[in-house]
Amino acid sequence: MSRRSYLIKRVLQAIFSLWIIATILFFLFRMGLPDPTAALITEGLNPEQRAAVRAQFGLEEPLWRQYVLFLTNAVQGEFGTSFSYRAPVSEIVWERLANTMILMLAAIVIAYAIGVPLGAWLSWRRGSRVDTAGIFFGLMFRSAPMFWTGMIAILVFGVMLSILPTSGMRTLPYDATGFWDKVLTLDFLWHAILPVMIVALYYLGSPLLIMRNTMLEVYGEDFIEMARAKGLRERDILYKHAARNALLPVVTQLAVTIGLAAGGQVVVEVVFSWPGLGREILNAVRTSDFPLAQASFLIMAAFVITLNLFVDILYTTLDPRVSFR
Amino acid sequence: MTMPPFLRAAAGPLKLMLQDRLAVIGLCVLSFIIVMALFAPFLSTHNPRHINEIEDGSVLTRGADVWELSESLGPLALNDAESMGAVALVVGRQGTVWSREGGEWVRVDVPVEADLNAVALQPDGRALVVGAGGTVLQRTGTDWRIIDAPTPANLQGVAWIDAAAALIVGAGEEIWRFDTATGTIEEIASPVGRGFALRSVGLDSDGTLLAVGERGLAVRYDPATNEAALERLGSSRDLNHIHIAPGGAALVTGERGTLLRRDTPDAQWVTDPAPDTRALRTGWIDDAGRAVAAGRNGIIMEWDGAAWQIVPTESERHLRALLIEGDSWLALGSDRFVTRLAPPSREHWFGTDHLGRDLFSQNVHGSRIALLVGFLGAALVVLIGTNVGLIAGYYRGRTETILMRTVDVMYGIPFEPFALILVLLFQPSLLIVILAVSLLTWRTVARLIRSQVLSLRERPFVKAARVAGASDLRIMYLHIFPNVMPLVFLELAIIVGVSIIAEATLSFLGLGPPHSISWGGILHDARLSGAWRTAWWWNLPPGIFIMTTVLSVFFISRSLEVVANPRLRARQ
Repeated sequence: MSRRSYLIKRVLQAIFSLWIIATILFFLFRMGLPDPTAALITEGLNPEQRAAVRAQFGLEEPLWRQYVLFLTNAVQGEFGTSFSYRAPVSEIVWERLANTMILMLAAIVIAYAIGVPLGAWLSWRRGSRVDTAGIFFGLMFRSAPMFWTGMIAILVFGVMLSILPTSGMRTLPYDATGFWDKVLTLDFLWHAILPVMIVALYYLGSPLLIMRNTMLEVYGEDFIEMARAKGLRERDILYKHAARNALLPVVTQLAVTIGLAAGGQVVVEVVFSWPGLGREILNAVRTSDFPLAQASFLIMAAFVITLNLFVDILYTTLDPRVSFR
Repeated sequence: MTMPPFLRAAAGPLKLMLQDRLAVIGLCVLSFIIVMALFAPFLSTHNPRHINEIEDGSVLTRGADVWELSESLGPLALNDAESMGAVALVVGRQGTVWSREGGEWVRVDVPVEADLNAVALQPDGRALVVGAGGTVLQRTGTDWRIIDAPTPANLQGVAWIDAAAALIVGAGEEIWRFDTATGTIEEIASPVGRGFALRSVGLDSDGTLLAVGERGLAVRYDPATNEAALERLGSSRDLNHIHIAPGGAALVTGERGTLLRRDTPDAQWVTDPAPDTRALRTGWIDDAGRAVAAGRNGIIMEWDGAAWQIVPTESERHLRALLIEGDSWLALGSDRFVTRLAPPSREHWFGTDHLGRDLFSQNVHGSRIALLVGFLGAALVVLIGTNVGLIAGYYRGRTETILMRTVDVMYGIPFEPFALILVLLFQPSLLIVILAVSLLTWRTVARLIRSQVLSLRERPFVKAARVAGASDLRIMYLHIFPNVMPLVFLELAIIVGVSIIAEATLSFLGLGPPHSISWGGILHDARLSGAWRTAWWWNLPPGIFIMTTVLSVFFISRSLEVVANPRLRARQ
């Protein structure tokens, strides 16, 4: 199979997946919320306005017509108006998605930047106390729920030492004209430290352990023996010869992690009041703001699928051994 | 003895587990937690849902800006206190009497066990103590004498009329005049006679005595005529306490924040607006215009000259008496109070939460939901994942395409948000939580098992079985399945950890199984109450429990990895 037809096939698959997810989502919401506008009564909407909303989502029509309308709207990026924000859903969702991505990507980058070299180093010191401690702490942060480590971090750094801010992205009130205007400040960096650290510590375990284990496998290979025979220094063998060849499984794991990053870590966003997409979904479903909940989830899934696709394609370019199957 | 291949495959991983030290530790910890879950009702020290109350002889001392909790006087509630010069007496439940001697509180033995409700002192140190069951005690020097009462009435208040006589009032509208010279009690007729409780009595500046009680009842006793007459104070609420200063300033306190004040002997009684509507049990006033009132839940109010102000107190104890002398202001209590947010103690090993529930018992019970959801969820995940992987890998072709495309689609669904939506749309229940935890996670298992089966189906023993005429089902489940067992075990262990964290996450967001106690739920309560920022004992243990459980499962799974990946075995 040529590279081109592989690409086309992957893109088609992604679109197919998205369609299935949209369908599942549609029926899930219709089953769980038979009348999504019921929540609007408490909002003080009169019957005419409510009827207008019902017409917009085609709630008076048969189910299959609603389904078709939902799909057409979704393809056109027309997700309606949020019940609680009274603003177009797409605007809200894109901003929240950016907030989630910046948190997740920062954490993933830090986790892999520390985890990979640390894992390589641990494999070199295999069997030592440092090695055991490394494995232990890596697994420990992987086992601790992030909402708990987050709460403890807030307790220690926010309350007891009161040196770091514990909620939000910026000190309120602030005015920023755009996303980058909001993010490119020291204040933002200051607010990001705790949540990013908590997510990074959680992710640290997998690159650390995968790198360590693959390195141990690589040490048995002939070319390492060869390098030793040439009389190269241990450190050169470790970082120049072994590490390079052990990177592949870590990169695979990185790809999977980045692919799922848009799903975010809802609890971290909740604990640190980070205005991300996961927290928005939680609030939207709680307040029965179904246009927002539906669109948030769909866009999140679309982003996950796109990232997966992108990472897959990048991966085939990086590793020529991967066949285009 | 020949074991069936199924069992033999299961025994292998177990043997390997026992060789790995970390796995043995993991197994021990996990069995400990399983035992904890099984025997939770026996291991927990309290009912985890019960709101705990405790009785204590509490003392609050007025400090610079807060009434501070001081060392308790015994384990029994203190009901009344009075001081005069160097002498001070405190009385309480079950015959509790404390006397202050040279600044130290000393427990005094009295010849009764009844609850003591009130005390009155003479400057020479003589004292009268009254209590339940018609208890009247007279102290002369260090000698305590029981006075015979005409009826076993529940006596509530006492005040000296002069050096030789005292007035005692009771819960059955009793008004008794006690004569020290003869040691006898004379019953005075009440002007109402309907059995209303009289709670407290005080000596007024004109030599008469004023008693207050239930439904705003006030009775004035004149020693000159030896008669009691009804008086109106302008309130119909239950009145608990009266205090009259020597110069005639007086304060009556009562239920629902009732405060009646009289500045001079001839002035009218005024009802002051109270900043809190809880019951006030005691009050104190002096002629210089200083006043303080105390009541349930640690409420203390001070008069600032124009209005009553609530002052901060360190504890929510129920206060019943004030002991004020110069700069030393004490508030005493406390009948059974809810032990809210108590730090770890011998009684509550992990402290209590904002409702006074025992956190140790909650944590012990929390292991049940965690393990139930963890193992049930994981079993479901492995059941679905293994079968999908087996079928897809064995049949190949269209079956494989359909199954594996489904798995691909599932990889596009973010796990946490999906579980949230599922639980929120369909009301939290144990079933929905388990479904939410397992509906997406089987995707990993299916992929892994399939790739393993793909290589196994080409192996000679499968071909041989096929040639021998074995059915597809037989080949799949009797020949291939035992060979993927190690991998299944490994995945089972990992997914148990994932499920436990997923359940904790849902419970933390308030979406756990309703009416259940879980580790995540404890943290949810802590976060919701806001008290977790100070009550470290509340949010530390559940997280440690979750972490140790998941960690032990991970340790076990690490040893299984060796089974699933023979290359690792060669290395060891």
